[in-house]
Amino acid sequence: MSMKYITPAETFKKYLPKDYVELVDYGPFGKSQEEAGPGNMGQFKELLEEHPMCSGCWMAYFIRVIFAALPNPEETVTLGTAGCGRLAISQAAVPFIYGNYGDQNAMASGLTRAFRLRFPEKHKDVITIAGDGGTMDIGFSMTMHSWIRGEKFTTIMLDNEVYGNTGGQESGMSPQGAVLKMAPEGKKFGKMPATDLAKAAGCVYIVRLSPTNIKKAAQIIRRAIFVAREVGPTFIHAYTSCNIEYSIPTEEVFKDAKEKEKGRFSFDEYMTDAAREVIERVEAEEKAARKARKEAMKAGAM
Amino acid sequence: MYYVAKVDSDKCADYKCNMCTLYCPEANTLMFDKENNTSWVDEDRCKGCALCVYVCTDLLDRSCITMEMAQAQEA
Repeated sequence: MSMKYITPAETFKKYLPKDYVELVDYGPFGKSQEEAGPGNMGQFKELLEEHPMCSGCWMAYFIRVIFAALPNPEETVTLGTAGCGRLAISQAAVPFIYGNYGDQNAMASGLTRAFRLRFPEKHKDVITIAGDGGTMDIGFSMTMHSWIRGEKFTTIMLDNEVYGNTGGQESGMSPQGAVLKMAPEGKKFGKMPATDLAKAAGCVYIVRLSPTNIKKAAQIIRRAIFVAREVGPTFIHAYTSCNIEYSIPTEEVFKDAKEKEKGRFSFDEYMTDAAREVIERVEAEEKAARKARKEAMKAGAM
Repeated sequence: MYYVAKVDSDKCADYKCNMCTLYCPEANTLMFDKENNTSWVDEDRCKGCALCVYVCTDLLDRSCITMEMAQAQEA
């Protein structure tokens, strides 16, 4: 998509669904992060809409942050696979492609290459958002190979440490000893070292985080997208708890995320020199643009 | 019957912190009204997880949000 496809003709506006017109007028399409970004969620119409995820789902929250942080929502395509995450991702006003059991990174490889051929003059962002099962268990080979080939797109793993959508089977990312509905004896081996695997496979920007600080989480998502545009594959490993399978009271989901941040989801950022260069350049550009806008606003107010 | 979040708008307007709206897992549900400087809840969309109560009461010690029984609305 592009801005041209999203913006409706004035004459037809009154016949279009109200939700759609509101999204174009008050949504994040074509706006800066200060106007419609994670910092002022709740003050604009969000890309994500009513979703069927459980009450107090931390994964739904992180997906909301992802969509608010997108640098260019009108030029973005998301891919996902079976799992809880796609229930919300497919409800957003960004084109979504549903992969067949773990092939989201294989599809994204082709898609990002095709976009680069078809639109050489602009950046089309391709982002795969899948759960721990889709990325590290079922889609493991396709994920690893897309990284080894150096495909330029962003992979986000929503790690809830369980197969939550199918009733609580252990996944490769469940911690050792985790007792789940369909793993009653406790898991016998540890968590897969996802970030180390990504490093070995050649990802240029890798982050492990528990999304408790919204500003930091948004910055990381944007960094991963900017680096993927130019340098190579990027990977975000985010903790998005499953309050149903791990029996976390809904009001304590945030507290649990903070506890995990001190434990196995401690913040870890890795980047190559080429990635650092891109990040420094883009963030300096953003800062300059922000300053220019502020000054323009001040001049307008006077 | 089920519980939904309810914002005490007079109390909330004193702080105008806009923190709870950042941590709701539902999109377009807990909104911030810039004119009156208060958060408000779309009751039809609230799933009653009380995450906003944790943010407002436990983290910020402001206690502007409570969980209340949803009012049955006439069709």
